[in-house]
Amino acid sequence: MKLVLFLSELLTVASAFVVALHPNVLYASIFLLFTFLGVAVMFVFAGADFIAGAQVVVYVGGVTILILFAIMLTQWLYQMRLRDVGNKLVVPIAVIGLGLVPFLYKGLHQLADFVSKAPPPNLAAFSGSPKTTAIGEALLSSYLLPFEGITILLLGALVGAVWLARPK
Amino acid sequence: MSLIDWATGLHGYLFIGAMLFVLGIIGILSRKNAIGILLGIELVLNAAGINFVAFSKYRTAMVEGQVVTLFIILIAAAEAAVALAIILRFYRLKQTIDAGEANLLRN
Repeated sequence: MKLVLFLSELLTVASAFVVALHPNVLYASIFLLFTFLGVAVMFVFAGADFIAGAQVVVYVGGVTILILFAIMLTQWLYQMRLRDVGNKLVVPIAVIGLGLVPFLYKGLHQLADFVSKAPPPNLAAFSGSPKTTAIGEALLSSYLLPFEGITILLLGALVGAVWLARPK
Repeated sequence: MSLIDWATGLHGYLFIGAMLFVLGIIGILSRKNAIGILLGIELVLNAAGINFVAFSKYRTAMVEGQVVTLFIILIAAAEAAVALAIILRFYRLKQTIDAGEANLLRN
């Protein structure tokens, strides 16, 4: 089981490299799909089954398809100019950025120790149990106001998106 | 096997989150294509979600972090829809999606 998680982490990082650095945006967005799938597997192993399902439905089924649709609509049909215009800063930005990874990881590590040094006692029970009931109860009790706010935000965003993309 | 043990615990999740965050920032900074910038933003948001889920398992064993991750996913979906609508609008206006061409407000 650990090997499956390890391989999906490798898949996530490798395809994230392609997403960040490939000059062709079409390939980058297709590899974004594999990144999202790898992150969904990581969510499953972290005991977040409902979040993994939401990740697959919203990201893989929605956002990636939307991005591919936009790429096809803006570039493919009219001109085959899919490549990103050459940016000379790619290599220095990538070197500096990847050099910052250990510091960021170190900071997160210290944050983990700041929250608590010991893992919680009921770790195995947390991983094994389904979370849909708990998430639903949390959404409709202590997180009711953010939940309603998200619904208004989604409504406004979708109406605004339709209004922005309207024909002249 | 110790590498696999390290990578499948809390620190593996934190490291993957840091990698995705930095790669997303690299994608945002190094691209001129507006859709490429959007891809970088999605990576950064997913990195934040990984951190919330990892801390909710390994430090609290409660479901609150997963609720926040759910909110992040929903906000990312709304953001992608609006951003792509803006990109389509911009393409209709300028026949390009080069973010460097978005200078209408500069004059």
